[in-house]
Amino acid sequence: MAQQKGEVKEMINTRILTQEFDYFAPESIKQVVELLERHGEGARVIAGGTDLINQMKEEKMSPSCLVNIMNVKGLRYIKEDEGLRIGAATKLRDVRAYCFKSRYVALYEAISSLGKPQVWNMGTIGGNLCNASPAADTAPPLLVFKARVKLVGKDGERELLLEDFFTGVNSTVLQPTELMVEIHLDPPGDGAGNAFLKVARVGADISKVSCAVFLKRQGRTCTECRVALGAAAPVPMRVKVVEEMIEGREIEESLVAKASEIVSEEVKPIDDIRSSAEYRRQVAAVTFRDVFWKAWDRAIGGKN
Amino acid sequence: MNKRKVTFTVNGERHELVVEPNELLLNVLREKLGLTGTKYACGKGQCGACTVLVNGESFLSCLTLAVAVDGAEIRTIEGVAEPDGTLDPIQEAFLDSSAIQCGFCTPGMVLMGRELLNRNPRATEEEIREQIKGNLCRCTGYFSIVRAIKSCCEK
Repeated sequence: MAQQKGEVKEMINTRILTQEFDYFAPESIKQVVELLERHGEGARVIAGGTDLINQMKEEKMSPSCLVNIMNVKGLRYIKEDEGLRIGAATKLRDVRAYCFKSRYVALYEAISSLGKPQVWNMGTIGGNLCNASPAADTAPPLLVFKARVKLVGKDGERELLLEDFFTGVNSTVLQPTELMVEIHLDPPGDGAGNAFLKVARVGADISKVSCAVFLKRQGRTCTECRVALGAAAPVPMRVKVVEEMIEGREIEESLVAKASEIVSEEVKPIDDIRSSAEYRRQVAAVTFRDVFWKAWDRAIGGKN
Repeated sequence: MNKRKVTFTVNGERHELVVEPNELLLNVLREKLGLTGTKYACGKGQCGACTVLVNGESFLSCLTLAVAVDGAEIRTIEGVAEPDGTLDPIQEAFLDSSAIQCGFCTPGMVLMGRELLNRNPRATEEEIREQIKGNLCRCTGYFSIVRAIKSCCEK
């Protein structure tokens, strides 16, 4: 049947996976890189698979080879070492449990709002980042914790800031032969507070807009401030104009209100099935304001 | 595609199977092992009807490759009751609370309840609601399901 413009594409078969591919389950990072190199552009790393298998069912992705990294040793850990180091294949459930009532509570809040228990059991923090959805819930908190990601490829390893990792919707700087191995968060230090909030239709839904704030305060003065938003642009974004506007200033209602207007202007949202761009702009401002005050209260030991 | 031999236990019984890489755990359970208690509904990981426990953790079997659970211990709804047919307390509670109507979401709901109680026998109502937030019910209603799970929690 000929398709009319705007008509829904023919029904997708979600019961079986029709695509054919080779499968490997190596046990070391070295083997992963070798397999990726040997199988070239058609190879994809699979971790929890909650995003990738869906994309394959929808035929948005047709890898000729899948390299499962869930058996790889040394990719699942959480340790305090000049901040927090998280192995890329660490399950969301483990990261969530670790961050509960921790100095990284925004990350706990983000994972809690992401999907559902089944997804926390299957999905990994590295997978959430490498899938590079503009709405990836772990991205805004990781951006405000100044996270760096470590990538390993055939030419060795490199480390970069998470904000330089995303290049567009579902695209990153990751080369076909590279694997993300670690996410490294800055230590928050004293007098710090952070928070995350997201606006979504129901509990387990993808965000319309999300926002994370990290700040440090001395009395009424905000000495450090970082703001990041999700689902508000092609990539999860920092809003540096707002950060600069707030840093070093005494915090008053009027300043935060002004800052939230700027947030609204700085975001670059789209119209889609979840929200209109206009709605997202307005809600981004409100969400920022709520998250800011939550982080502000937490910075003086306010309750989580 | 490189076929692979996988070995896993399902409800305590060991299985050795040869599977294609693109076979989903859901279909292997339903079609190769005849365990049709696990349901296919949305196929996108949105509804939770296909939930099974993999090494004690709830997984969406419609998004799980069978090759990826090599070596795992899997529990489906068929393995919740005792081998002699004695129902698990949580199944009894679903019956007592009228938490079943069409029954399509029930296997997933029962397994989510089981996972929660195994980890936290004193779960609060809030924790129960969080636990089943990804399991959709379109007829019974969530109240009776929450009530059933709650009645199995230690006070």
